[in-house]
Amino acid sequence: MILIDIFVGAIMLAAAAAAMWVRNLVSAVILVGVVSLAASFIFLRLGAPDVAMTEAAIGSALSTVIFLIVVRRTESHEKGPEVQR
Amino acid sequence: MASLILTAALAVVAVAALMATWQLLRGPDTPTRAASMDVLTSILLPLIVGLAVKSGRGIYIDVSMVYALLSFLGVLSLARYFDRGL
Repeated sequence: MILIDIFVGAIMLAAAAAAMWVRNLVSAVILVGVVSLAASFIFLRLGAPDVAMTEAAIGSALSTVIFLIVVRRTESHEKGPEVQR
Repeated sequence: MASLILTAALAVVAVAALMATWQLLRGPDTPTRAASMDVLTSILLPLIVGLAVKSGRGIYIDVSMVYALLSFLGVLSLARYFDRGL
């Protein structure tokens, strides 16, 4: 049982590290969504199902949409070879 | 016997999550990462339901239902972004 928590926590850490290292903004948005997914599971396992429900609704669904809208609105202002779709 | 089968099922789901995470981390392009995020979302649901059966807590089923109802929004917005822009 505790092995599953450690496993999901390892997935969360790997996704967070990759979200820092990746050079693509939309990939970083996807990886942050995976971090939120794993955080919801950790909240559930720590005994807070209502917090897990809120995290699933806000963090995984709504913040991905808002981040994508922000990337779309601001990418015309970005100049440089490292920022790409 | 039932506990053994449940543990084996959770192990299979964990292996599937491992493979989806591998594809998420090394995916060369962004649509691969989007697809693997969708796969990870679908994998987390049987993990939660299996833990609900194993630990005997009914509230996990409710969380799993809310998650299944809401998890399509992120992938839907990503698909819209890849198609013609959000």
